[in-house]
Amino acid sequence: MKQRNILAKCVLIMVGLFYVLPMLSMARFAFQRVPMALLGWDTLFKRWTIKPLFTMMSDPIFRESAFLSLRLAFLSALVTLIVLVPTVVYVHVSMMRARPVVEIISVLPFVVPAIALVVGIAGAFRDLAPWFIRSDYSLVPFYVIIALPFTFRSIDNGLASIDVKTLVDASRSLGASWTRTLWSVIVPNIRVSVASASFLTMTVVLGEFTIASLLLKETLPLILSQSQGREPQGSFAVGLVLLVITASLLGLINRFSRRRNMGQSVTLL
Amino acid sequence: MSITNMQSSRGPSIRRAPRLYTRSIRGWLPIAPFIGFVAVFLLMPAVVVFQRALGRVDGPKAPMVEAITGQYRKSFIFSMQLSAITATLGVIIGTMVASSIVRLGHRRGIRNAFTGYSAVAANLGGIPLAFAFLAALGMQGLITKLLKTTGVDLIGMGFKISDFWGIVVVYLYFQIPLMTLIMLPALDGLKPTWREAAANLGAGDRQYWRFVALPLLLPSLIAGFLLLFANAFSAYATAYALSSGSSKLVPVQIRFFLQGNTITGKENLGYALAAWMIIIMTVSMTGFIMLRRRAERWRR
Repeated sequence: MKQRNILAKCVLIMVGLFYVLPMLSMARFAFQRVPMALLGWDTLFKRWTIKPLFTMMSDPIFRESAFLSLRLAFLSALVTLIVLVPTVVYVHVSMMRARPVVEIISVLPFVVPAIALVVGIAGAFRDLAPWFIRSDYSLVPFYVIIALPFTFRSIDNGLASIDVKTLVDASRSLGASWTRTLWSVIVPNIRVSVASASFLTMTVVLGEFTIASLLLKETLPLILSQSQGREPQGSFAVGLVLLVITASLLGLINRFSRRRNMGQSVTLL
Repeated sequence: MSITNMQSSRGPSIRRAPRLYTRSIRGWLPIAPFIGFVAVFLLMPAVVVFQRALGRVDGPKAPMVEAITGQYRKSFIFSMQLSAITATLGVIIGTMVASSIVRLGHRRGIRNAFTGYSAVAANLGGIPLAFAFLAALGMQGLITKLLKTTGVDLIGMGFKISDFWGIVVVYLYFQIPLMTLIMLPALDGLKPTWREAAANLGAGDRQYWRFVALPLLLPSLIAGFLLLFANAFSAYATAYALSSGSSKLVPVQIRFFLQGNTITGKENLGYALAAWMIIIMTVSMTGFIMLRRRAERWRR
């Protein structure tokens, strides 16, 4: 038993190092101005600087892409909520029969990889609606789709944990309209799920590369990959910041949902 | 999951008296915008992929056949080998992590740290992850240097982060935590009473694992393999950033077609490659969902 515990600890330490070291390496590369050949114990704490981050941030092309990504993130979260919340609420209130159907639809994006989706997008919309593909905002609906398996789960779990029917009946019998019921009775009760769904969509948008790159939209990940050669330190610094933002958003969701309904994780599980 | 919900929907129907009404098509109407959204932005592109892949034959071979012969066959094999190997390693290491966490279960801190980070890391990827590994295991990487001081010369051994095994290592960064998250509930579900029951019937440690625990865990293990396989198979951005687009992966081949570098008479080949990807993903994800249902049976 004792020996096995030591083995278990070794496994966790090794894997823990595997998780942590790449992030530390990235931080060092981005923020320390010491060539790898000269790195040693005596130079370990020398010449750390956050300047690469600022040089990158003062680059107009980079700034534009960052703002574009932020706008896309907010819009996608908004569209997700508009499309998803009324549907899932309706299903929970009076069409539980339809839930398996909606659930299957919501996991469909898993079987269409981003690269296959973008091939289909080009094929379907290039002739049909070229103006749509030309706009930067054409990415929004596709990002909503990619995030759907996660966002559906989040809203669905939230509604399953409250007594929607009673709330709706109470609100309706007091004379509130459907919109009012949805907006000031149901949404406040599932605000954790609503926040999770929005954050999840944002993490998807901030990381997505495939579709943006093939539709030639200059989003943040695209500019990062392009400026890797020109401004390596700066792009690594921004990459790290992006990882930290994504990780904190996901961590926040986990903390929320764990407090709510017993460790339901945010992934597809 | 679905069974319990079906039951709850079949509660006393005094409130909603006219059942015929809800059963009619009008009950589905409020869901129509959602279905329409998915139809336009997901199903339509997917249908177009298959339509073009199966459509007009303008070369000597049908695009769907051409897409799995010659160099394209090679890149499918490359992609599938990569996915299978990262999935296998992910299953093994992820399960080891999960069982280590369960074994040290009395320490809540360790468990919380690992599950919390796993939930985050399983969703990481894309360009920034590739950057992290370039900084860690590239020519001038920190780990490369650390290992060199301990006498392991990675570069000398022929390891390159942009090669097959390099991509495998990078993919493990999200594969291991994903598997950990799949196996933790499965391992938690092994009730101590089962072990005691087996012991009472005279089973040894090995017999318990072989005849009780393994059959119970098997659906989760295979489901995990399929999910990890699909996960690696559809990944693209990380590998693209690691090898600057020169990789043999299927998605990179598709990119080539989409950017208009088509050989005349083979315009539909890109669609055919995408169609095969969707088929492979559908097979593995269907297997995953079915096995997962089976695995959940023991858990409540």
